[in-house]
Amino acid sequence: MVKIAELIKKCGLSVYSGDNFDEEVKNVYIGDLLSDVMGNAKEGSVWLTVQSHINIIAVANITSTKVIILCNGLNYEKGTKEKAELNNVVLLKSNQNSFETVKKIIELGL
Amino acid sequence: MKKDVVFLNRGHTLWQAKELMRIKKISGVPIIDKKRCLIGIVSIEDIIVALEKNYISDLLENHMTKSVITVAPEDNMEKIIQKFNRFDFGRFPVVDKNNVLKGLITKNDILETILGQFTIIYDHDVRREEILNKEMEWFNKSLITGNTLDKKEADFEFHIQYTDVNLAGMGAARLKKFLNSKMNNPELVRKASIATYEAEVNVVIHSGSNGYLYCWFNDKEINVRIEDHGKGIENVDKAMQEGFSTASDHVRELGFGAGIGLVNMKRYSDKMVVVSEVGKGVVVEMSFYNKTGGV
Repeated sequence: MVKIAELIKKCGLSVYSGDNFDEEVKNVYIGDLLSDVMGNAKEGSVWLTVQSHINIIAVANITSTKVIILCNGLNYEKGTKEKAELNNVVLLKSNQNSFETVKKIIELGL
Repeated sequence: MKKDVVFLNRGHTLWQAKELMRIKKISGVPIIDKKRCLIGIVSIEDIIVALEKNYISDLLENHMTKSVITVAPEDNMEKIIQKFNRFDFGRFPVVDKNNVLKGLITKNDILETILGQFTIIYDHDVRREEILNKEMEWFNKSLITGNTLDKKEADFEFHIQYTDVNLAGMGAARLKKFLNSKMNNPELVRKASIATYEAEVNVVIHSGSNGYLYCWFNDKEINVRIEDHGKGIENVDKAMQEGFSTASDHVRELGFGAGIGLVNMKRYSDKMVVVSEVGKGVVVEMSFYNKTGGV
Protein backbone atom coordinates (compact mmCIF):
# COMPACT_ATOMS: atom_id res chain seq x y z
CA MET A 1 0.00 0.00 0.00
CA VAL A 2 1.33 3.40 -0.99
CA LYS A 3 -0.24 6.78 -0.39
CA ILE A 4 -0.98 8.83 -3.49
CA ALA A 5 0.96 11.73 -1.99
CA GLU A 6 4.06 9.56 -1.74
CA LEU A 7 3.59 8.37 -5.29
CA ILE A 8 3.54 11.93 -6.57
CA LYS A 9 6.57 12.98 -4.57
CA LYS A 10 8.87 10.03 -5.15
CA CYS A 11 8.04 9.23 -8.77
CA GLY A 12 8.42 12.73 -10.17
CA LEU A 13 4.77 13.05 -11.18
CA SER A 14 2.77 16.21 -11.65
CA VAL A 15 -0.81 16.66 -10.53
CA TYR A 16 -3.42 17.45 -13.17
CA SER A 17 -6.50 17.13 -11.03
CA GLY A 18 -7.76 15.79 -7.71
CA ASP A 19 -6.74 16.37 -4.13
CA ASN A 20 -7.50 13.24 -2.12
CA PHE A 21 -3.84 12.31 -1.91
CA ASP A 22 -4.20 10.58 1.45
CA GLU A 23 -5.83 7.58 -0.19
CA GLU A 24 -3.78 4.47 -0.67
CA VAL A 25 -3.22 2.35 -3.76
CA LYS A 26 -2.33 -1.31 -3.77
CA ASN A 27 -2.04 -2.41 -7.41
CA VAL A 28 -0.63 -1.20 -10.68
CA TYR A 29 -1.89 -1.82 -14.20
CA ILE A 30 -0.36 -0.66 -17.47
CA GLY A 31 -2.47 -0.66 -20.61
CA ASP A 32 -3.81 1.39 -23.48
CA LEU A 33 -6.56 -0.90 -24.68
CA LEU A 34 -9.58 0.03 -22.62
CA SER A 35 -11.15 -3.42 -22.65
CA ASP A 36 -7.87 -4.94 -21.55
CA VAL A 37 -7.71 -2.58 -18.59
CA MET A 38 -11.39 -3.18 -17.93
CA GLY A 39 -10.88 -6.90 -17.81
CA ASN A 40 -7.65 -7.08 -15.90
CA ALA A 41 -7.00 -4.06 -13.67
CA LYS A 42 -7.52 -4.90 -10.03
CA GLU A 43 -9.40 -2.78 -7.58
CA GLY A 44 -7.59 0.19 -6.05
CA SER A 45 -5.04 0.39 -8.84
CA VAL A 46 -2.77 3.01 -10.29
CA TRP A 47 -3.28 2.90 -14.04
CA LEU A 48 -0.49 3.93 -16.40
CA THR A 49 -1.58 4.74 -19.93
CA VAL A 50 -1.18 6.98 -22.95
CA GLN A 51 -4.92 7.28 -23.53
CA SER A 52 -5.98 10.80 -22.66
CA HIS A 53 -9.63 11.11 -23.66
CA ILE A 54 -12.63 11.38 -21.37
CA ASN A 55 -13.58 7.72 -21.55
CA ILE A 56 -10.62 6.71 -19.36
CA ILE A 57 -12.61 8.10 -16.45
CA ALA A 58 -15.44 5.66 -17.11
CA VAL A 59 -12.92 2.82 -17.17
CA ALA A 60 -11.31 4.02 -13.94
CA ASN A 61 -14.69 4.44 -12.30
CA ILE A 62 -15.96 0.99 -13.17
CA THR A 63 -12.74 -0.82 -12.28
CA SER A 64 -12.40 1.20 -9.05
CA THR A 65 -9.08 2.61 -10.19
CA LYS A 66 -8.07 5.53 -8.01
CA VAL A 67 -5.23 7.11 -9.95
CA ILE A 68 -4.43 7.52 -13.63
CA ILE A 69 -0.89 8.39 -14.71
CA LEU A 70 -0.72 9.71 -18.26
CA CYS A 71 2.77 8.90 -19.51
CA ASN A 72 5.17 10.26 -22.13
CA GLY A 73 4.40 13.88 -21.22
CA LEU A 74 1.03 13.75 -22.97
CA ASN A 75 -1.85 16.05 -22.07
CA TYR A 76 -5.33 15.13 -20.92
CA GLU A 77 -8.12 16.11 -23.25
CA LYS A 78 -10.56 18.88 -22.48
CA GLY A 79 -13.35 17.84 -20.14
CA THR A 80 -11.41 14.99 -18.56
CA LYS A 81 -10.63 17.02 -15.45
CA GLU A 82 -14.27 17.78 -14.64
CA LYS A 83 -15.27 14.18 -15.16
CA ALA A 84 -12.42 12.96 -12.97
CA GLU A 85 -13.32 15.30 -10.13
CA LEU A 86 -16.90 14.14 -10.30
CA ASN A 87 -15.81 10.53 -10.02
CA ASN A 88 -13.09 11.02 -7.45
CA VAL A 89 -10.26 9.88 -9.71
CA VAL A 90 -6.84 11.51 -9.32
CA LEU A 91 -5.17 12.45 -12.61
CA LEU A 92 -1.38 12.59 -12.70
CA LYS A 93 1.18 13.10 -15.43
CA SER A 94 4.59 11.62 -16.04
CA ASN A 95 7.16 12.93 -18.49
CA GLN A 96 8.64 9.49 -18.83
CA ASN A 97 7.30 6.38 -20.48
CA SER A 98 5.32 3.80 -18.57
CA PHE A 99 8.31 1.52 -18.04
CA GLU A 100 10.50 4.22 -16.52
CA THR A 101 7.58 5.44 -14.42
CA VAL A 102 6.64 2.03 -13.13
CA LYS A 103 10.24 1.29 -12.17
CA LYS A 104 10.00 4.12 -9.66
CA ILE A 105 6.66 2.85 -8.39
CA ILE A 106 8.17 -0.56 -7.79
CA GLU A 107 10.93 1.06 -5.74
CA LEU A 108 8.18 2.29 -3.39
CA GLY A 109 7.33 -1.32 -2.68
CA LEU A 110 4.19 -1.89 -4.73
CA MET B 1 -10.86 -35.24 -32.81
CA LYS B 2 -7.33 -36.00 -31.74
CA LYS B 3 -4.86 -35.83 -34.57
CA ASP B 4 -1.77 -37.14 -32.82
CA VAL B 5 -3.07 -40.66 -32.54
CA VAL B 6 -0.89 -43.51 -31.32
CA PHE B 7 -1.18 -46.59 -33.50
CA LEU B 8 0.37 -50.03 -33.96
CA ASN B 9 1.12 -52.35 -36.87
CA ARG B 10 -0.12 -55.87 -37.54
CA GLY B 11 3.24 -57.29 -36.40
CA HIS B 12 2.95 -55.96 -32.84
CA THR B 13 1.67 -58.20 -30.06
CA LEU B 14 -1.36 -57.80 -27.83
CA TRP B 15 1.05 -57.44 -24.93
CA GLN B 16 2.64 -54.42 -26.65
CA ALA B 17 -0.83 -52.97 -27.18
CA LYS B 18 -1.58 -53.45 -23.48
CA GLU B 19 1.64 -51.64 -22.50
CA LEU B 20 0.89 -48.78 -24.89
CA MET B 21 -2.62 -48.39 -23.46
CA ARG B 22 -1.29 -48.46 -19.93
CA ILE B 23 1.42 -45.87 -20.54
CA LYS B 24 -0.73 -43.56 -22.66
CA LYS B 25 -3.81 -44.11 -20.49
CA ILE B 26 -5.99 -44.88 -23.51
CA SER B 27 -8.61 -47.54 -24.08
CA GLY B 28 -8.14 -48.44 -27.75
CA VAL B 29 -5.45 -48.42 -30.45
CA PRO B 30 -5.96 -48.37 -34.23
CA ILE B 31 -3.82 -50.71 -36.33
CA ILE B 32 -2.49 -49.43 -39.64
CA ASP B 33 -0.44 -50.75 -42.56
CA LYS B 34 2.64 -49.21 -44.21
CA LYS B 35 0.52 -46.76 -46.16
CA ARG B 36 -1.14 -45.56 -42.95
CA CYS B 37 -4.37 -47.25 -44.02
CA LEU B 38 -6.56 -48.51 -41.21
CA ILE B 39 -6.70 -52.30 -41.04
CA GLY B 40 -8.08 -52.92 -37.58
CA ILE B 41 -8.55 -51.76 -34.01
CA VAL B 42 -7.80 -53.28 -30.65
CA SER B 43 -9.58 -52.21 -27.47
CA ILE B 44 -9.07 -52.76 -23.77
CA GLU B 45 -11.85 -55.38 -23.89
CA ASP B 46 -9.77 -57.40 -26.38
CA ILE B 47 -6.82 -57.22 -23.99
CA ILE B 48 -8.91 -58.48 -21.06
CA VAL B 49 -10.11 -61.45 -23.11
CA ALA B 50 -6.52 -62.16 -24.23
CA LEU B 51 -5.33 -62.16 -20.62
CA GLU B 52 -8.16 -64.45 -19.58
CA LYS B 53 -7.59 -66.88 -22.44
CA ASN B 54 -3.84 -66.60 -22.19
CA TYR B 55 -2.87 -65.39 -25.65
CA ILE B 56 -1.53 -61.99 -24.70
CA SER B 57 1.74 -62.57 -26.58
CA ASP B 58 -0.04 -63.34 -29.89
CA LEU B 59 0.23 -60.98 -32.87
CA LEU B 60 -2.38 -58.24 -33.21
CA GLU B 61 -3.36 -59.29 -36.73
CA ASN B 62 -4.82 -62.52 -35.36
CA HIS B 63 -7.09 -60.88 -32.81
CA MET B 64 -7.83 -57.32 -33.83
CA THR B 65 -11.30 -56.24 -34.92
CA LYS B 66 -11.02 -56.01 -38.70
CA SER B 67 -14.37 -54.56 -39.66
CA VAL B 68 -13.87 -51.21 -38.00
CA ILE B 69 -16.61 -48.62 -37.80
CA THR B 70 -15.07 -45.30 -38.79
CA VAL B 71 -16.11 -41.71 -39.25
CA ALA B 72 -15.03 -39.23 -41.94
CA PRO B 73 -13.25 -35.93 -41.22
CA GLU B 74 -16.19 -34.03 -42.68
CA ASP B 75 -18.84 -35.76 -40.57
CA ASN B 76 -20.75 -33.40 -38.32
CA MET B 77 -21.34 -33.75 -34.63
CA GLU B 78 -24.88 -35.04 -35.06
CA LYS B 79 -23.77 -37.88 -37.32
CA ILE B 80 -21.00 -38.88 -34.94
CA ILE B 81 -23.28 -38.88 -31.90
CA GLN B 82 -25.73 -41.07 -33.83
CA LYS B 83 -22.90 -43.52 -34.47
CA PHE B 84 -21.95 -43.58 -30.80
CA ASN B 85 -25.56 -44.39 -29.97
CA ARG B 86 -25.89 -47.04 -32.64
CA PHE B 87 -22.62 -48.87 -32.00
CA ASP B 88 -21.68 -49.14 -28.42
CA PHE B 89 -18.02 -48.26 -28.96
CA GLY B 90 -16.00 -45.79 -26.95
CA ARG B 91 -14.07 -44.46 -29.93
CA PHE B 92 -14.06 -44.20 -33.70
CA PRO B 93 -11.01 -43.85 -35.93
CA VAL B 94 -11.32 -40.95 -38.37
CA VAL B 95 -10.29 -41.98 -41.90
CA ASP B 96 -10.42 -40.24 -45.26
CA LYS B 97 -11.95 -41.72 -48.39
CA ASN B 98 -8.79 -43.77 -49.03
CA ASN B 99 -9.05 -45.31 -45.56
CA VAL B 100 -5.97 -43.41 -44.37
CA LEU B 101 -6.01 -42.78 -40.61
CA LYS B 102 -6.46 -39.07 -39.82
CA GLY B 103 -7.34 -39.13 -36.17
CA LEU B 104 -9.46 -40.61 -33.43
CA ILE B 105 -12.62 -39.38 -31.81
CA THR B 106 -13.77 -40.54 -28.37
CA LYS B 107 -16.91 -40.04 -26.32
CA ASN B 108 -14.83 -37.76 -24.17
CA ASP B 109 -14.12 -35.46 -27.13
CA ILE B 110 -17.86 -35.20 -27.74
CA LEU B 111 -18.52 -34.50 -24.09
CA GLU B 112 -15.84 -31.81 -23.96
CA THR B 113 -17.26 -30.11 -27.03
CA ILE B 114 -20.74 -30.13 -25.60
CA LEU B 115 -19.60 -28.90 -22.21
CA GLY B 116 -17.64 -26.16 -23.92
CA GLN B 117 -20.84 -25.03 -25.57
CA PHE B 118 -22.72 -25.17 -22.32
CA THR B 119 -20.42 -22.98 -20.27
CA ILE B 120 -21.86 -20.05 -22.06
CA ILE B 121 -25.11 -20.15 -23.91
CA TYR B 122 -24.79 -17.76 -26.73
CA ASP B 123 -25.97 -17.90 -30.26
CA HIS B 124 -27.98 -20.95 -29.39
CA ASP B 125 -28.98 -22.19 -32.82
CA VAL B 126 -32.52 -23.31 -32.13
CA ARG B 127 -33.40 -20.45 -29.86
CA ARG B 128 -31.78 -18.00 -32.20
CA GLU B 129 -33.80 -19.20 -35.11
CA GLU B 130 -37.01 -19.09 -33.15
CA ILE B 131 -36.24 -15.62 -31.97
CA LEU B 132 -35.20 -14.29 -35.34
CA ASN B 133 -38.38 -15.55 -36.91
CA LYS B 134 -40.44 -13.49 -34.55
CA GLU B 135 -38.72 -10.19 -34.38
CA MET B 136 -41.18 -8.57 -32.04
CA GLU B 137 -40.73 -11.28 -29.51
CA TRP B 138 -37.01 -11.03 -29.85
CA PHE B 139 -37.21 -7.50 -28.57
CA ASN B 140 -39.85 -8.19 -25.98
CA LYS B 141 -38.84 -11.49 -24.48
CA SER B 142 -35.97 -12.40 -22.26
CA LEU B 143 -33.33 -14.30 -24.21
CA ILE B 144 -32.36 -16.21 -21.11
CA THR B 145 -35.69 -17.11 -19.50
CA GLY B 146 -38.02 -16.71 -22.47
CA ASN B 147 -40.41 -14.68 -20.33
CA THR B 148 -42.04 -11.58 -21.70
CA LEU B 149 -40.26 -8.52 -20.41
CA ASP B 150 -41.88 -5.50 -18.97
CA LYS B 151 -39.21 -2.97 -19.64
CA LYS B 152 -41.15 -0.27 -17.83
CA GLU B 153 -40.75 -2.34 -14.70
CA ALA B 154 -36.97 -2.48 -14.98
CA ASP B 155 -35.11 -1.49 -11.82
CA PHE B 156 -32.72 0.59 -13.87
CA GLU B 157 -32.93 2.08 -17.33
CA PHE B 158 -30.46 4.07 -19.37
CA HIS B 159 -30.66 5.52 -22.84
CA ILE B 160 -27.38 4.91 -24.69
CA GLN B 161 -26.45 7.69 -27.08
CA TYR B 162 -24.10 6.74 -29.84
CA THR B 163 -23.22 10.15 -31.16
CA ASP B 164 -20.48 10.92 -28.65
CA VAL B 165 -17.82 8.31 -28.03
CA ASN B 166 -16.78 10.23 -24.92
CA LEU B 167 -20.06 9.29 -23.30
CA ALA B 168 -19.49 5.56 -23.77
CA GLY B 169 -19.55 3.86 -20.42
CA MET B 170 -21.73 6.42 -18.69
CA GLY B 171 -24.62 3.99 -18.41
CA ALA B 172 -22.42 1.33 -16.86
CA ALA B 173 -20.97 3.85 -14.42
CA ARG B 174 -24.47 4.91 -13.38
CA LEU B 175 -25.55 1.32 -13.09
CA LYS B 176 -22.61 0.62 -10.81
CA LYS B 177 -23.56 3.50 -8.56
CA PHE B 178 -27.20 2.45 -8.55
CA LEU B 179 -26.50 -1.20 -7.73
CA ASN B 180 -24.01 -0.31 -5.04
CA SER B 181 -26.67 1.82 -3.40
CA LYS B 182 -29.08 -1.14 -3.43
CA MET B 183 -26.89 -4.05 -2.44
CA ASN B 184 -23.76 -4.74 -0.48
CA ASN B 185 -21.88 -6.95 -2.89
CA PRO B 186 -19.20 -4.82 -4.54
CA GLU B 187 -17.57 -7.76 -6.31
CA LEU B 188 -20.80 -8.80 -8.05
CA VAL B 189 -21.60 -5.21 -8.94
CA ARG B 190 -18.10 -4.75 -10.33
CA LYS B 191 -18.48 -7.79 -12.58
CA ALA B 192 -21.87 -6.64 -13.84
CA SER B 193 -20.57 -3.11 -14.45
CA ILE B 194 -17.52 -4.26 -16.42
CA ALA B 195 -19.60 -6.52 -18.68
CA THR B 196 -22.23 -3.78 -19.09
CA TYR B 197 -19.55 -1.25 -19.99
CA GLU B 198 -18.37 -3.47 -22.83
CA ALA B 199 -21.88 -3.98 -24.16
CA GLU B 200 -22.57 -0.26 -23.94
CA VAL B 201 -19.34 0.61 -25.76
CA ASN B 202 -20.32 -1.83 -28.49
CA VAL B 203 -23.59 0.03 -29.01
CA VAL B 204 -21.74 3.34 -29.19
CA ILE B 205 -18.95 2.31 -31.54
CA HIS B 206 -20.60 -0.37 -33.67
CA SER B 207 -24.38 -0.12 -33.86
CA GLY B 208 -24.81 3.25 -35.49
CA SER B 209 -27.96 3.67 -33.44
CA ASN B 210 -29.09 4.58 -29.99
CA GLY B 211 -29.66 1.82 -27.53
CA TYR B 212 -31.21 0.97 -24.21
CA LEU B 213 -29.77 -0.56 -21.12
CA TYR B 214 -32.07 -2.29 -18.63
CA CYS B 215 -31.30 -3.96 -15.36
CA TRP B 216 -33.38 -6.11 -13.06
CA PHE B 217 -32.05 -7.49 -9.83
CA ASN B 218 -33.05 -9.49 -6.80
CA ASP B 219 -31.11 -11.07 -3.97
CA LYS B 220 -30.06 -13.98 -6.16
CA GLU B 221 -28.96 -12.33 -9.37
CA ILE B 222 -28.45 -9.27 -11.51
CA ASN B 223 -29.82 -9.35 -15.04
CA VAL B 224 -28.69 -6.83 -17.61
CA ARG B 225 -30.09 -6.34 -21.09
CA ILE B 226 -28.59 -4.07 -23.71
CA GLU B 227 -30.36 -3.58 -27.01
CA ASP B 228 -30.09 -1.50 -30.12
CA HIS B 229 -31.86 -1.34 -33.47
CA GLY B 230 -28.67 -0.70 -35.41
CA LYS B 231 -26.47 -2.48 -37.90
CA GLY B 232 -26.41 -5.84 -36.23
CA ILE B 233 -23.62 -8.40 -36.12
CA GLU B 234 -22.89 -10.32 -39.29
CA ASN B 235 -21.36 -13.35 -37.63
CA VAL B 236 -21.86 -13.71 -33.89
CA ASP B 237 -19.47 -16.67 -33.62
CA LYS B 238 -16.71 -14.68 -35.23
CA ALA B 239 -17.46 -11.63 -33.11
CA MET B 240 -17.09 -13.77 -29.99
CA GLN B 241 -13.49 -14.62 -30.91
CA GLU B 242 -10.82 -12.84 -28.96
CA GLY B 243 -9.08 -10.22 -31.03
CA PHE B 244 -11.71 -10.09 -33.76
CA SER B 245 -12.89 -6.56 -34.33
CA THR B 246 -14.48 -4.50 -37.06
CA ALA B 247 -13.66 -1.21 -35.35
CA SER B 248 -12.33 1.72 -37.37
CA ASP B 249 -8.76 2.95 -36.98
CA HIS B 250 -10.01 6.11 -35.30
CA VAL B 251 -11.85 4.15 -32.66
CA ARG B 252 -8.86 1.86 -32.18
CA GLU B 253 -6.58 4.84 -31.59
CA LEU B 254 -8.82 5.76 -28.71
CA GLY B 255 -8.14 2.36 -27.20
CA PHE B 256 -11.44 0.74 -28.14
CA GLY B 257 -12.07 -1.99 -30.64
CA ALA B 258 -9.38 -4.40 -29.51
CA GLY B 259 -11.70 -7.36 -29.87
CA ILE B 260 -11.72 -8.05 -26.14
CA GLY B 261 -15.11 -6.59 -25.29
CA LEU B 262 -17.24 -9.67 -25.88
CA VAL B 263 -14.54 -11.78 -24.26
CA ASN B 264 -14.78 -9.66 -21.12
CA MET B 265 -18.56 -9.95 -21.16
CA LYS B 266 -18.33 -13.70 -21.42
CA ARG B 267 -15.72 -13.83 -18.70
CA TYR B 268 -17.56 -11.72 -16.17
CA SER B 269 -21.11 -12.95 -16.72
CA ASP B 270 -22.47 -16.28 -15.56
CA LYS B 271 -24.82 -16.57 -18.47
CA MET B 272 -24.91 -14.62 -21.69
CA VAL B 273 -27.01 -14.69 -24.82
CA VAL B 274 -26.34 -12.58 -27.89
CA VAL B 275 -28.91 -12.38 -30.65
CA SER B 276 -28.45 -10.30 -33.73
CA GLU B 277 -29.47 -9.96 -37.30
CA VAL B 278 -27.86 -7.69 -39.84
CA GLY B 279 -29.87 -4.52 -40.19
CA LYS B 280 -32.13 -5.27 -37.24
CA GLY B 281 -29.93 -4.75 -34.25
CA VAL B 282 -28.42 -6.59 -31.35
CA VAL B 283 -29.78 -7.78 -28.05
CA VAL B 284 -27.38 -8.91 -25.35
CA GLU B 285 -28.60 -10.38 -22.12
CA MET B 286 -26.37 -11.30 -19.22
CA SER B 287 -26.95 -12.80 -15.80
CA PHE B 288 -24.67 -12.43 -12.81
CA TYR B 289 -25.34 -14.78 -9.96
CA ASN B 290 -24.84 -13.96 -6.35
CA LYS B 291 -22.73 -16.84 -5.15
CA THR B 292 -21.92 -15.49 -1.74
CA GLY B 293 -25.37 -15.73 -0.20
CA GLY B 294 -26.26 -12.46 1.48
CA VAL B 295 -26.75 -9.41 -0.66
